[in-house]
Amino acid sequence: MIAVIVCLIVMLLLQIVAPYWWWVMLVPFGCGFGFSRTGWSAIRTGFVSAGLLWLGGSLYFLLTGSRIIAQRIAAMFGLGNPWLLILATGLISAVAAAVSGYTGYAARTLLKVRLSGKD
Amino acid sequence: MKCIRAVGSLLLSAIVFWGLNQRHGMIPPAGKLLNPFAGLWLNNERGDRPPEKLDLPGLESEVRVRWDDRRVPHIFASNDHDLYFAQGYITARDRLWQMEFQTHYAAGRLSEIIGPPGLEMDRLNRRFGMVWAAENTVRFLESDPVSTRIIDAYTAGINAFIRTLGRRSYPIEYKILDYQPEPWTPLKCALLLKYMAFDLCGYSMDPGLTEMRIGLGEAVVDRLFPYDEPLVDPIIPPGTTWDFTPLPAPPIPAENAAAAPGQAAAIPAPDNSGKEKGSNNWAVAGTRTKTGFSILCNDPHLLLTLPSIWYEIQLNAPGVNVGGVSLPGAPFVILGHNDRIAWGFTNAGSDVLDWYAIRFKDQTRAEYWHDGAWRATQRRTETIKVRGGREVADTMIFTQHGPVVRLKGEPPLSERDVPVEAALRWLAHDSSNEIRTLYALNRAGSYDEWLNAVAGWDCPAQNFVYADAAGTIAIRHNGKFPLRWKGQGRFMLDGSNPAHIWRGWVPREHIPAVKNPERGFVSSANQKPADAGYPYYLGSDYAPFERGARVNQLLSGMTNVTPDDMIRMQSDSFNLRARTVLPALLPHLRGRDLSEAERKCLDELDSWNCASAPGLIAPTVFAQYWYEFNVQTWNDEKKAPMRMTDWPNSHVVIDLILNHPDDPFFDDKATPGRESLADMAFLAFRSAVGALEKRLGPPGPAWSWGRWKGTDIAHLGRIPGFGRMRLPTNGGEGIINATGRTDGPSWRMVVELGPEIKAWGIIPGGQSGNPGSRFYDNAVDDWVAGKIYELVFLKSPDASNDKIVARTTLGGLK
Repeated sequence: MIAVIVCLIVMLLLQIVAPYWWWVMLVPFGCGFGFSRTGWSAIRTGFVSAGLLWLGGSLYFLLTGSRIIAQRIAAMFGLGNPWLLILATGLISAVAAAVSGYTGYAARTLLKVRLSGKD
Repeated sequence: MKCIRAVGSLLLSAIVFWGLNQRHGMIPPAGKLLNPFAGLWLNNERGDRPPEKLDLPGLESEVRVRWDDRRVPHIFASNDHDLYFAQGYITARDRLWQMEFQTHYAAGRLSEIIGPPGLEMDRLNRRFGMVWAAENTVRFLESDPVSTRIIDAYTAGINAFIRTLGRRSYPIEYKILDYQPEPWTPLKCALLLKYMAFDLCGYSMDPGLTEMRIGLGEAVVDRLFPYDEPLVDPIIPPGTTWDFTPLPAPPIPAENAAAAPGQAAAIPAPDNSGKEKGSNNWAVAGTRTKTGFSILCNDPHLLLTLPSIWYEIQLNAPGVNVGGVSLPGAPFVILGHNDRIAWGFTNAGSDVLDWYAIRFKDQTRAEYWHDGAWRATQRRTETIKVRGGREVADTMIFTQHGPVVRLKGEPPLSERDVPVEAALRWLAHDSSNEIRTLYALNRAGSYDEWLNAVAGWDCPAQNFVYADAAGTIAIRHNGKFPLRWKGQGRFMLDGSNPAHIWRGWVPREHIPAVKNPERGFVSSANQKPADAGYPYYLGSDYAPFERGARVNQLLSGMTNVTPDDMIRMQSDSFNLRARTVLPALLPHLRGRDLSEAERKCLDELDSWNCASAPGLIAPTVFAQYWYEFNVQTWNDEKKAPMRMTDWPNSHVVIDLILNHPDDPFFDDKATPGRESLADMAFLAFRSAVGALEKRLGPPGPAWSWGRWKGTDIAHLGRIPGFGRMRLPTNGGEGIINATGRTDGPSWRMVVELGPEIKAWGIIPGGQSGNPGSRFYDNAVDDWVAGKIYELVFLKSPDASNDKIVARTTLGGLK
């Protein structure tokens, strides 16, 4: 739970500082690498934090003047409904973060093996 | 195991990153686009509210902008430099992507954005000499200090806006198509003018008519595409006497066309439906108006797109106060009024594009035959960059006539009917300074000043209509026209024969023009400019008779004209074609054995008042009937010799029906018997009803004109969801409101020229280029309904007007 909150806040700050979308991959990677105890928790942390961040972010903009553009982009993707676009936004971020979070965890376990192998 | 897991998940991460970070074909970069902190979510309505104050390095002094409730900017500057700097900045703020995309298109650079699918179009635009011509134009403009100063200021204004942009604030199309804006240059302004020329005078029937001449003989061509067109009411009132001594036309050479057309472009016959665009303009003198003030009207028809083609603006500085519409990418008001005069355009359609058949010495095309000797060609290499890093080199070959657009063995170019191994002689390649004309036009305060201004306008030639507060009205078929023998350039010309070269120009004082005619109005609807008494041959590819005749009929019958009458007239949906031809066709349907659907359709046509209203069935039946009638009549001719030619104009066909019903053209040569007009009339009716039934079921609401025609205003970059589709517009081909499936009035304007100018206008879209703004398409529904808005025209920045809703001060940094 704490990992989710920390990950979410770090991503939020970085997204405000620099406009890159891939913070939602890089930060969960870091979380997975730094303090996920299991693969599943790395996936969960990434999925929930990044999913919530983009879901919440897009929802905020939808309600404050982005309805028209959301409708048009939804139509462009053949979704037909801006709420589905919000769902897609959250989901894409969540999945990307889950994958990179797990990669972070896997990378750490790999390095640990190598270290212990040297011992 | 752990190693496999790590590498596997890293690979998966990389794939996800790659998948979301860039565009794949037409699938946008989802990660960048959906990111709530930089992507689509930021292209929202918040940008609609103009800032109160903006510091703009580059301004010489303060510029004040007033925004009205339709978000039209009214710009007040204290000198020309600041005025056009601000116009550039403000226009880019609303329309940057459109400005850049259009000039990328003209420059043959679409491939950089969309990848390999843009290559063919890029090659055509470059081979057509658009870039070469734009480069020449820029060099020519540089020799005129006034033009240079304005273009430079406008460019600097656009670039001042581009510098404020970052990933978050790019217009949405950049985010979807995944690229970045580049700095604006004067070349782009020139490219935009060439883009308009390409659209308005970059076509010809020469290859098609040449093929037809070989197959059917010149007499048949002259019959179906006559010089003296029946039923047409020309722009200049018939019988007008010309008070000049014309220059002699060049002598007609013994061989007056190319011996062989090369091989004609093997493309399917052009689809006639929706080809006619249909701009109108007219001015009514005070003698016919209720208030005694003259009234000027203009509705230029173009391929409709969103963001709107035009951008409404008012420009005010010492010496100028002008309002109307501008073209994003060019300074000035193009169509509009100032506080003394008003003006408008329709396309002239006179012939300024010819093809010269070229005989090359050999495959290298290093030399070609001309005037009894081999001459050297010139070459120019064009490099087309393709998205993804590839570069495609293309060599253009130039003769003294111009560039060779399509070589033997190259595929046909889908956009234009381009013959192989022929050089293009096109007026848009010549140096001219339309910028200077627009500068003077915006400032003209009298007829003489207007006349002076428009004399410098060469290309694309337009019918310039004029009215002023002093009561003068006028119209000029204005442009630079080559001095031709009668029919020169109707067919492909012979590139080896020096007698086929353009020999001089029609003096500007001799162009078809009229001032204050007795009938109390002037008008144009793309039709032939003058009757047979006019001494010069200018071309023979003009619009069909209906719109021009209808405009003139209506205006002749009107007195006490009000602006409201004019507004209604711009949306007039009366189908003069149907009114003229149906009485001659319908009798042939009586006494025949009709199906129930056929009887119903005949009843509809019988009881029709010829209004092309969206709710009626009759306009659909008539349109399909006319289509089928032409198919049946011209099918046999079209098989070979007329394959590439459009059908003859409606006035020619109607003249045949009314006055030559026994003409052999009505015989279908594919059948042993001899068909008559009566047979054609019935067969076409049967096919038309059959075709409609097959597509729409039995006659009913699905057949209604609005649903059958349905006007699409697509996005300029064809992004789905960004256009307004299937709009139930009235009118149609050959109707004053000539709104078709994709074309229509891109701007409607009515100006009453009293001591206080009053103007009305509407564009089918809105001021904003941002699809996330409600000002992107806020006027579309009113435009469909034929409504129009009273335009705000301020005398000073402090003038009180309750439609002014926001103010911006642009300040120069000292």
